[in-house]
Amino acid sequence: MTQPIVEVKNLKKSYKKRKTKEIITAVDDISFTVNKGEILGLLGPNGAGKTTTIKMICGLVRPDSGEITINGIDNQKKRLHAQEHISAVLEGNRNLYWRLTVRENMEYFAGNRGMSRKEVAGQIDKLLVQFRLKDKENEMVNRLSRGMQQKLAIAVAMLAGSEVILLDEPTLGLDIETGYEVRELLREIVRTEQRTIIITSHDMDVIQDLCERTVIINTGKVVTNDRVENLMKLFEVRAYAVKLDGHLSEEQHELLIKKFPQLVYTPDTYQSMLEVDLTQSQEIYDLFDILKIEQIPVDTIDRKTINFEQVFMKIVKGVTVYALSERA
Amino acid sequence: MRFLNVLNANIRREYILLKRYLPNTIAMLITFYVLFLGMFAGISLIGDPSSQDTNIQYVIVNYIFWFLAMVVVNDIGWQITNEATQGTLEQLGMSPMGIWKIMLSRLLSTTLVDFVIIIGLLYLSMFTAGQWLNVDVLSILPILILTLISMFGLGLIIAGFTMILKQIQAFLQILQFILAGLTFVPLSVAPFLAFFPFVKGIDMVREIMINGVTLTEFAAADIAILVFNAVFYFGVGLVIFLRCERFAMQKGLLAHY
Repeated sequence: MTQPIVEVKNLKKSYKKRKTKEIITAVDDISFTVNKGEILGLLGPNGAGKTTTIKMICGLVRPDSGEITINGIDNQKKRLHAQEHISAVLEGNRNLYWRLTVRENMEYFAGNRGMSRKEVAGQIDKLLVQFRLKDKENEMVNRLSRGMQQKLAIAVAMLAGSEVILLDEPTLGLDIETGYEVRELLREIVRTEQRTIIITSHDMDVIQDLCERTVIINTGKVVTNDRVENLMKLFEVRAYAVKLDGHLSEEQHELLIKKFPQLVYTPDTYQSMLEVDLTQSQEIYDLFDILKIEQIPVDTIDRKTINFEQVFMKIVKGVTVYALSERA
Repeated sequence: MRFLNVLNANIRREYILLKRYLPNTIAMLITFYVLFLGMFAGISLIGDPSSQDTNIQYVIVNYIFWFLAMVVVNDIGWQITNEATQGTLEQLGMSPMGIWKIMLSRLLSTTLVDFVIIIGLLYLSMFTAGQWLNVDVLSILPILILTLISMFGLGLIIAGFTMILKQIQAFLQILQFILAGLTFVPLSVAPFLAFFPFVKGIDMVREIMINGVTLTEFAAADIAILVFNAVFYFGVGLVIFLRCERFAMQKGLLAHY
C-alpha cells in the first residue's frame, strides 16, 4: 500500500528582484505527494522552480503560502522536528568541507545533527565500504575526484538516518562509470533500506532508469505527475518512421503536411524517410491513404523508440496537453 | 545530551583546522606578537618613564583581550562568509539542531581552542616586557566567563548580519578596530562604556591583574552590571540571530553567493 511521506500542498513562492524590484514567481501553486520507499524524479527546465521547491522541502527557504509535511510534521511550524526526517545533497560539489578528510566530514555532519562519534562509528564503516571509499577515509576531500566527492556527499546524507533523501543533480559532472555506480547505490538504498528519494536531474537517462514516477514542473507549475512508464507509453505508440522505395509527389507531401504538421520528410531518389507522430492511433490509415495515391512501395515501418528526454522535451513544450487530455 | 555532541564535533573541527592551517596560525601569532613588540617599544622609548610600568601592564592586558575579542566576535563573521561562499551554510541549515546551536558551538570551540594560544601569548608578552601580572585564576575566571557570554551575544549579532548581508567583509575589517577601541579605552575615560558588551569585564580583569584586586573586593554594582551585560547581550544576540535566520530563509539567502 502506498503511504505518503512528503506532502506538498499549494506551495507558492515569489522573489523581488533587487535592482528592478520586479516580482518573480518562482513557484506557483505546486502540489504533489511522495510515497514511502519510492524514487521520485522532480524535473523541469532551468528556472522552472525545481531548486526553490527542493529548498522549501528542506526547510531552507520559507514558502509565501502553502504547506509541506514530512512524515506528517509541518515543516514550517516544526521546522527542526521535520528536518530530523530529511537530508539532502544540494547541487554542485559544495556539500563538504574540503580541508577535512572523508571520515572527518562524516563525523562532523553527524555531530551537527546531535550524534556522537561513537554512535556513528559502525555506520560510517559500513557506508565507507558500501560507497567504496574505505581506502580513502583519511584522504582530504579536496584531493578526491568529483565522483568520489559526490559519493561522499550522498554517504553523509545517508548517515543522517533520515527517511527522505533529496538529491539535486546527483550525477552532474560525473564520469560515466561513477554515474552508473551512483545509480546502483541509490537503487540499493531504496531497495534494502526502505528510504525515499527525491531526485532532480537534467540527465533523463538517469531519471528513466531510476524513477518510478516523475513530477514535471514548468514556469512554477506542475505540468505532469505520472509514472515514467505511462509517459513513455503515451508517446511511444504513435511515433513512426516509414522508409519508402521512392519519393513523395508534391501533392502527397502537401496532403501529409496538412494532416501531420510535425512531419519530418527526408526525400531521396531511391529511399526516402518519413517520420510522423500520430495524435491518434487511427491516423495510421490516413497516412496510408495518402501513400496509396502514388502506390509508393513501403520498404519498412518502424515504431520509433522514443527516449525519456524526448518525452520530457515534448511535455515541457506543451505537446502533451492534447495527448494527456485525450488519455484522460 | 545532543548539544554536547554538536559542541564536541565543532571543537574537533576547530582543532583539526587549526593544526591543518598551522602556518596560518603561526603567522597570525607572530603578527600579534610583533604588534605587541611595537607597542612595548613605543612606550619604552617615548612614554613617560614615571608611568612606564603601568602603561606596559595595561598594554599587555588590553591587547590580549583584543585578540580574544577578535577570535570570538570577528571570526564568527568570517566563518559564516566562508561557509556561505563554499556552500556549506545550507548543510548547516539542514541540521535539526538549528543553526544557532551550531554557531554557539563554533563560538565556544574557537574560544576553547584559541584559549591555549592566548595563554601562551600572555606569558610570552609578560616575559618579553619583564612585567609579571597578577594571574589570579579564581578571581579572573568568573568575570571572564561572564564577559565571554556578552562577547558571544555580540558574535551572534555579527553572525546574523553576515548571513543576510553579502558585502559585510568591509565592515568586518573595520570591526577589528572597533573591538580594539572597546578593549583599549579605560572605563574611567568613558564610564558609559560599562554598558557596552565586554568593556566592564575587561576593566575588572585589569583591576585584578594590574592592581591585585580580588573578586570579593568588587562592589555588588560592578558584578550586577557584568551579569546584566552577559544576559542582555546574549539574549539580544540570540533574538537578532534568529530574526536574521528567518529573514534569510524568506529571501533564500543561505545559498552560496
